[in-house]
Amino acid sequence: MPHTRITETRREFLETTTATALAGSLVGTSSGDEQKSPAEKAGPKKRIAIITTLWAYLRHGQHIGDRFLVGYPHEGDWHEPGVEVVSAFVAQQPTASDQKVREKEFGFPQGDLSAERAREFGFGLHKTIPDALRCGGKRLAVDGVVVIAEHGEYPTNAKGQKLYPRSEFFSQIVDVFRNDGRSVPVFNDKHLSYSFEQASRMVAASRELNFPMLAGSSLPVTWRMPEMEVPYGAEIEEAVVICGSSSLDSSGFHALEALQCLVERRKGGETGIRRVQTLSGDDVWNALDHKKWSPDLMARALSRADVIKGITLVDARTQDLAAPGVLKSIVPEPQAVLFEYRDGLKATLLLLDGAVGNFTAAVRLDRRDRVLSTKFLLPPEPNVAYSACLAHHIENMIVTGQPGYPVERTLLVSGLLEAAHDSRAADGRRLRTPQLDVTYTAPRASQHCRN
Amino acid sequence: MSNVKRPRIAAVVTEVRRYSHAQHILDRFLFGYSWDGHHHVPDIELVSLYADQHPDGELSRDRAKMFPQMKIYPTISEALCQGGQRLDVDGVLLIGEHGKYPTNPKGQRLYPRYEFFQQIVDVFRKSGRSVPVFNDKHLSWNWDWAKEMVETARELDFPLLAGSSLPVTRRVPQIDMPLGAKVEEAICVAVGGVDGYDIHALEAMQSMVERRHGGETGVEWIEAATGVDAVVKALKAGSFDQGGWDPALFRACLCRSHRLVPTREGFNHTLPTDRQIEDLMREPENRNRPVLYRYQHSDGLRMNMLLIEGVVHDFTFAARLTDHPKPLSVQMFLPPREVCNFFNPLTHATEELFHDRRAPYPIERTLLTTGLTAAGVESLYRKGARLKTPHLDIHYRPTRRSTFWSN
Repeated sequence: MPHTRITETRREFLETTTATALAGSLVGTSSGDEQKSPAEKAGPKKRIAIITTLWAYLRHGQHIGDRFLVGYPHEGDWHEPGVEVVSAFVAQQPTASDQKVREKEFGFPQGDLSAERAREFGFGLHKTIPDALRCGGKRLAVDGVVVIAEHGEYPTNAKGQKLYPRSEFFSQIVDVFRNDGRSVPVFNDKHLSYSFEQASRMVAASRELNFPMLAGSSLPVTWRMPEMEVPYGAEIEEAVVICGSSSLDSSGFHALEALQCLVERRKGGETGIRRVQTLSGDDVWNALDHKKWSPDLMARALSRADVIKGITLVDARTQDLAAPGVLKSIVPEPQAVLFEYRDGLKATLLLLDGAVGNFTAAVRLDRRDRVLSTKFLLPPEPNVAYSACLAHHIENMIVTGQPGYPVERTLLVSGLLEAAHDSRAADGRRLRTPQLDVTYTAPRASQHCRN
Repeated sequence: MSNVKRPRIAAVVTEVRRYSHAQHILDRFLFGYSWDGHHHVPDIELVSLYADQHPDGELSRDRAKMFPQMKIYPTISEALCQGGQRLDVDGVLLIGEHGKYPTNPKGQRLYPRYEFFQQIVDVFRKSGRSVPVFNDKHLSWNWDWAKEMVETARELDFPLLAGSSLPVTRRVPQIDMPLGAKVEEAICVAVGGVDGYDIHALEAMQSMVERRHGGETGVEWIEAATGVDAVVKALKAGSFDQGGWDPALFRACLCRSHRLVPTREGFNHTLPTDRQIEDLMREPENRNRPVLYRYQHSDGLRMNMLLIEGVVHDFTFAARLTDHPKPLSVQMFLPPREVCNFFNPLTHATEELFHDRRAPYPIERTLLTTGLTAAGVESLYRKGARLKTPHLDIHYRPTRRSTFWSN
């Protein structure tokens, strides 16, 4: 095992990239224990494998994966990760056409980065997932697995879902756990699978083999603007989440998880979802006219956006996007996912490409008409600092064995997203979703970045 | 809250075009803006406008057509009197930012804020009545004039509010300097250049440190430097006393930045070393000349203002508090340019001014930052000489409540 060499290479790198003139820096290399982080003092770093579809600039595999190599900002300091990447499996290389387009955008070559990362940081690149988990040996040789299967060339089904091989990757991971008689924490980026059935099997396997599992989007854990949290145990009457994209599969997932992390705190805890309906085009405007969701909540959520489109792009004027007719004039292809929880809570996702460029939400609490609203802050490229918030949760789960929030959140949202695609494919028919009887209790403590 | 009639205000501006400060602020009065989770339309009527310049693509006539209650007048006096003989508005917005104005040998753009202000107070004097005035950004490029503006406001007994949007914009995290905190040293790491962005950074810092133990005591001296060599020297100095700053504060700012320029191709977010920061500043395509102002308050507080666009692209602040091992640090958040929502809390502050006839935060803040800006420019003009600033013997108390945008 090249463990010592890895550590040295890593330290050289940290010395050249992150050591500043700061005395007492957590990444100092020469002065012994007093300069080590609590995680280092606690013992050797947890060893992780990164299993990803693509390790290319600003793809999830890179901007999340790199944080475990070079560290990331956390609470006003640069945090050296308490885990060590010892192996990786990367399924694909960026295609030539993708590289060409992105090279034009970013001004430098856009090929695979995993080989140079492996060289620089001294981890092993493996041809199969089992090899990565076993670091080329015969038995499981890592303390945690980070699966980032987002981006890359995969087919899309007739419903518009991109068929990322998350469940397939996960099966291979679980097979190693079974064969080797030991399981370790697993993180899965974004939804568990395009298929609720597969997603359920993933969660069932983690329960059966008793390993901690964390999944989902950065949105539930990123900064909120303004800082906002649903009081724990509040009665919620209705919730609306808005995103300025037309991609139900990709952006829709982020938006639905953002909404879920708010409403799961309601009185009685999560009960699951009873019905789902996805409307498109003029059906969305008709539904708005018939108040199928609260126009007031929609207005509150819209007011939180700070990337406003339409005529604002022409002369920078401010706009009341909720004023009559405005959305219709600037959103050519609206979509709305209307869903109802088993305890009666009504919620709506609005995809308003052309109106805004943010993810925002509003929830109405109880009957006193108290409304909370916020924007989920997505700091811009290239730093995309939201993924630092997620990286911190991944690291914590691997180091402590305790996920910061239940995987059932992501399970439910995975199923909701599939049902939303099903309804859209069925011309907007309202679908019953008896399978989505996912119940869980949200953590009381807030889990998003706020310090 | 207003218990009288709906205030009517006049705007006296240099130019109204896309992205000019006047466009941003006036449009918020006309179209409304996002506030506290609503689209808020001010309960204030913008009834008259004087615009000094009319560049291509100017928008004042377009807006006057859409909002006929807003009349355009050819002079400041007529705007304030709505074409009559006497003052006929309840408040004045003075927005003297942007437009073509000469620059002096020290590099200061000679925006006519003082000149506009003089014309405004002439009307007040002739009418025997004064109304609240908001002045966007610093009071004047000229310290004596700025001082006179504040004295005139006292003499004629009208509330004067001024300054940048940085003190009132959103913060990440959403925190304020604890009132009465013992602050030893502070830094702002920001973007832009002299006589434009220095004032924003100085105001951002001042809005934090004015809350310290004992309140504001004024500034004793300032020294400024510009150019990569000078800033690199300060970067390597290791402490304020050695000509630099506390490196832990600088590091905290970099860690609060959401727009830290990557130093290695293919990496999207790394913490740069001093060497890499120097390299970024020396990059040929980085045309921003780094700027450093160092100054010390009369109570000993040490301050650093660093403009290093090209290393970062945002505004962050950090302070060393006595008995706190970790710096207090924050990002002053600037939303994307297309709609510039940091003008929302600034516009709201002007609404409070006009409704309550009281400035929501003290004019002395901006008087001090105006003086600091002028003194920083002067130090640069004198090749970085340390200048004593006895004239900046400005004492004031901050508001108890936080005034930044948190709703």
